[in-house]
Amino acid sequence: MSHLLNIVKKEVRELLTPGSVISIMVVIFLFMGLGGFIGGEIEKSAVLPVVGVGNYEEQTLEFDDGEWNVYDTIRGFYTSQGMSKEALDKSVIKIDMNNIEKDIKTYGISVAFIVDDNFKSNILNGIQGTVHQYYVYSPSGMINGSVSTAVADILIQNVNDDLSSHLMGSDDTKAAIKFLVNPITNGGTHTFINGQEYSDVTPAQLDEAMSSQTIMIPMIIMIIIMMIGSMVISSMGSEKENKTLETLLTMPIKRTTIVSGKILAAAIVGLVYGIAYMVGLRFYLNSILSIEGTSSIDLSKYGMALDTFDFVLLTLSMFLAIVCALGICMILGAFAKNFKSAQTMTLPLSLLAIIPMFITMFSGWYGSSMLMKGILFIIPFSHPMLASEALLNNDYTLVLAGIAYMMAFALISILVTVKLYKSDILITGLSQNKYIQKFRGKKI
Amino acid sequence: MTDALVLKDVRKSYGQREAVHGVSFSVKEGEVFGLIGHNGAGKTTMLRMISTILKVTSGTITVYGHDVMREPDAVREIISYLPEDAGAYKDLTGRKYLEFIADFFTSGDKKNELVQKGIELADLGDRIDSKVDTYSKGMMRRLLIARAIMSSPKLAILDEVTSGLDVINAFEIREVIRGIAEQGMTVIMSSHNMFEVDMICDRVAMVDQGNVVEIGTPAELKEKYGKKTLEEVFVTVVKGA
Repeated sequence: MSHLLNIVKKEVRELLTPGSVISIMVVIFLFMGLGGFIGGEIEKSAVLPVVGVGNYEEQTLEFDDGEWNVYDTIRGFYTSQGMSKEALDKSVIKIDMNNIEKDIKTYGISVAFIVDDNFKSNILNGIQGTVHQYYVYSPSGMINGSVSTAVADILIQNVNDDLSSHLMGSDDTKAAIKFLVNPITNGGTHTFINGQEYSDVTPAQLDEAMSSQTIMIPMIIMIIIMMIGSMVISSMGSEKENKTLETLLTMPIKRTTIVSGKILAAAIVGLVYGIAYMVGLRFYLNSILSIEGTSSIDLSKYGMALDTFDFVLLTLSMFLAIVCALGICMILGAFAKNFKSAQTMTLPLSLLAIIPMFITMFSGWYGSSMLMKGILFIIPFSHPMLASEALLNNDYTLVLAGIAYMMAFALISILVTVKLYKSDILITGLSQNKYIQKFRGKKI
Repeated sequence: MTDALVLKDVRKSYGQREAVHGVSFSVKEGEVFGLIGHNGAGKTTMLRMISTILKVTSGTITVYGHDVMREPDAVREIISYLPEDAGAYKDLTGRKYLEFIADFFTSGDKKNELVQKGIELADLGDRIDSKVDTYSKGMMRRLLIARAIMSSPKLAILDEVTSGLDVINAFEIREVIRGIAEQGMTVIMSSHNMFEVDMICDRVAMVDQGNVVEIGTPAELKEKYGKKTLEEVFVTVVKGA
């Protein structure tokens, strides 16, 4: 048993290096943060959305027990869900029929219900009344995406049931049972996309189609960064172990050339991998989407498809993200003592790749809070993940700002790496650093 | 004879620990100079500082008049460094490795000539076209020696060049070093092997705990301490026996 314990103790000491312990701590904090973030997004999506109601006053029906209209019915439903009077006034808004799109934007309305001009007369004549749904499309994440459309359907169903119960209790009506059960028909959806009204698509459908176009990008970026990052850091560890790095450092070439050469080569390989993955996944997704019943809508019809220039920007964004990742890898790799210790260095990089992947998949750039947007922007790998979504929404400012940021980040990381290559750390490691020695001395 | 290498009061600190304490010596052009000392004495640190890959904490090192701290690029043009237990890129063949290195020095026909010279120096026969990871330790060392000297550096810096090699391979490597010295190349090498140093070095510096404790030709040192071998001299100098 003591021999076993001896071996276990030695193995644990080898495996639990300061680097791996820090990485584990970072993982714990990261998942705590991500858990809170995802929980918040789910909670946010579960809250009753802000809705608008228009053209309901003239279409108010009169029953024995009082007046009935869509606006009051929705307010009643919200109240029954425990909403306070103050919150109610901010959640169920009266829509000005001349400014539907403006009101939706101004009040942050998820869906506006516009009662048809013939609603009252139709109902009184035993014909289904129509309620139209109006949206202003704005991109959102995986969870938020289809919420407004789904909630709108639920609300319409509630309004329908409420009117149905009134009609069934009315002696005046002799309408058919079908009408009594479903007195309201969906008048179709109307979605404003960049100021243009479309009547054949819902935001949920747009989000679904967009997700199918863009969901692979974050995954590919994450895979590529983790793979290439691991390769580069391991290569650095291996170069140190074999002392080929020492040889290289005494060659008549500039440190900048060594660093740039290593980064450029790995970035090209990374880009080739990235494009290969994209093409492969594209075929995979197309195969799935071509199955009957799962076909997606044509985004180009709504001015939301990527053109050649967009693809150039996307590829450039991906390439720069890989360069930034490699810059970080080269810095981390400089501290790796050998191949084995290099393996643990890849974890921080993987985490940095996972964070934007989760955020972009769950809430997207446009659905994120300012804090999240800040975090996303700072992490360079976020930008190609965000670029596809932004390009589909013609948001070139975000894409170009991301490209500029990544260029600056890549340049700084290369300069830092060159500085490290000129220092002793590359050969001696951190253990010989005076600050580390002072820290260890104090710790003891 | 001009000075190929001059160290003046060179110190090197790793954090709070000083590994080299004010070392001074010079190496003449065409000389084979040996650094001998036990493990951790500071030999490799000195060679790394001369090779520009470690910074000098204080003092100066000049290689053919070029200061290693102020003109590292100029120094790298004229030196060649072979670290202890060095390897090569395992995915390359011996020939491809020599071509990779030759690219840093020249191009075109001159590069081909350089590679050919390297192949001849390595003397690996058909195995020059085998992957490096299939090489024995001796073959690897021959390839790396060839790499280090094919560019005809003015100063070759060789760290424990024969350590871990069998008798035959060590002998052949020593022959190569002797050969390049005869051609006028300056060599500074470190070794544990006193016999080897005695055989091929014109002068030696004995290093102990970061200090050069004795310097001279092997014959001078043996005579000074009245010992038959350099090993005995070293033990006497270091241990005071």
